[in-house]
Amino acid sequence: MKKILKSEKEMDKFASSVAKKIKPGDVLALKGDLGSGKTTFTKGLARAMGIKKSIQSPTFVLLRPYDVGKKIAKEKCIKMLVHVDAYRIDEPDELLDIGLVEFINDPASVVVIEWADKIKKILPRGRTKWIKFKLGTALNERIVETKN
Amino acid sequence: MKILGIETSCDETALAVVEARGQDFFVRKNLVYSQIPIHEKFGGVVPEVAARAHVEKLPILLEELGNKNGKGIDAIAAVNGPGLVTSLRVGVELGKALAFLWDKPLVDVNHIEAHIIANWLTKKNIKLIKFPSLALVVSGGHTELILMKKKGEYKKIGQTLDDAAGEAFDKVAKIFNLGYPGGPIISEWAKRGNPQAIDFPRPLVNKPNFDFSFSGLKTAVLYEAKKNSTKLNNKKYIADVCASFQEAAVDTLVAKTIRAAEKHNVKSIMLAGGVSANEWLRKEMKIAVKKYLPKVNVIVPELKYTGDNAAMVALTGALKAREKKFTKFEKIGVDPNLSLG
Repeated sequence: MKKILKSEKEMDKFASSVAKKIKPGDVLALKGDLGSGKTTFTKGLARAMGIKKSIQSPTFVLLRPYDVGKKIAKEKCIKMLVHVDAYRIDEPDELLDIGLVEFINDPASVVVIEWADKIKKILPRGRTKWIKFKLGTALNERIVETKN
Repeated sequence: MKILGIETSCDETALAVVEARGQDFFVRKNLVYSQIPIHEKFGGVVPEVAARAHVEKLPILLEELGNKNGKGIDAIAAVNGPGLVTSLRVGVELGKALAFLWDKPLVDVNHIEAHIIANWLTKKNIKLIKFPSLALVVSGGHTELILMKKKGEYKKIGQTLDDAAGEAFDKVAKIFNLGYPGGPIISEWAKRGNPQAIDFPRPLVNKPNFDFSFSGLKTAVLYEAKKNSTKLNNKKYIADVCASFQEAAVDTLVAKTIRAAEKHNVKSIMLAGGVSANEWLRKEMKIAVKKYLPKVNVIVPELKYTGDNAAMVALTGALKAREKKFTKFEKIGVDPNLSLG
């Protein structure tokens, strides 16, 4: 499914719709260039999951875990949203050292990964949902693409 | 009191010895092994490479330090966060090993606090630091405003909501393929450019809070580059983009700092972290403070103490050791997301 989002607000809405369908253990793999909307999407997703803390870029520490809001935690049995950034990663194995696999295999976590195409080979096939981001033709326009 | 400091939180491997005598601090040794050449080809720090390089470089630095049995050292200070988890672990493990081997107490040090404390390493700074004080901590991984009502008391009153300022410099450098790290490269290019050439956004600058946002600024630079894809080899154009981007980033940092300083009635403003080496930021901050808050002192760390170094860690360790804030070496752990205040 392809969608054209005309503003940050629409990206927010799209993130909320993804959050509604999210299941514990899901891995959201985000793919797209610098500035294509991955961080904005992640912020929207976090807000929709009841996270009040600001979502700071994990580029420096590679991974930041957040406790999800109580309501979502209860409704969906999800405890944590883990925000990963593979921007600086060259070898997927590098992320194994910092505990990514533990989070991916934790049934109570949802993992959202920016630049996921760089670490494709360590992502679990069945549970990974890919979202592609592209710049649109107009200035604030973004194109997102999901399977199914 | 003499403290050995260990810093391995990111891409610099560093050891230092600082002696604290009353209000005087002396840096006896300050060794930094930069991994920048190793990471340059990747356009950023690669965690596993960084950790491995720390393991390789620490023994070399330890040898250079020339202290085989810990003689004259009173305590050991190691950074335990924030930073890259694997890199932090290497430094903390060395700290534990030396503390055990030499039978010395161990102090854990917060990397952000150490960057602020770096301002005390320079004698002429010390008398200018008046409380309450506001620290702007800016680096590749952090952009925070920390209020200190008194020495050792920290309260975070603002921070970036997305990218750190230094990260924005790195990413803009990447957009134009200028190299890594982006900070010094962009400010070099900016010297030949016109800061008014392009009117980049100043995100959140009119919001009443003290938070920052640099992700949108990076995107604006990206749009600019896409719009002018034929000019990407034009040096004057790149210089203009760099100068205008730097101006927008610095403007935002200065405006928020001034507003926070006003609200909290601070008597001094300190800069800290790698981006505090940026000449434009230093200059603009001093001009703005002189204009709007003429009674407030602006303190900047010496250039050699802006980036990651172990002298700042050793001094922070010394201040904690004086208050007997030691950590048992069995109990010290690392926290990649450790925060201050």
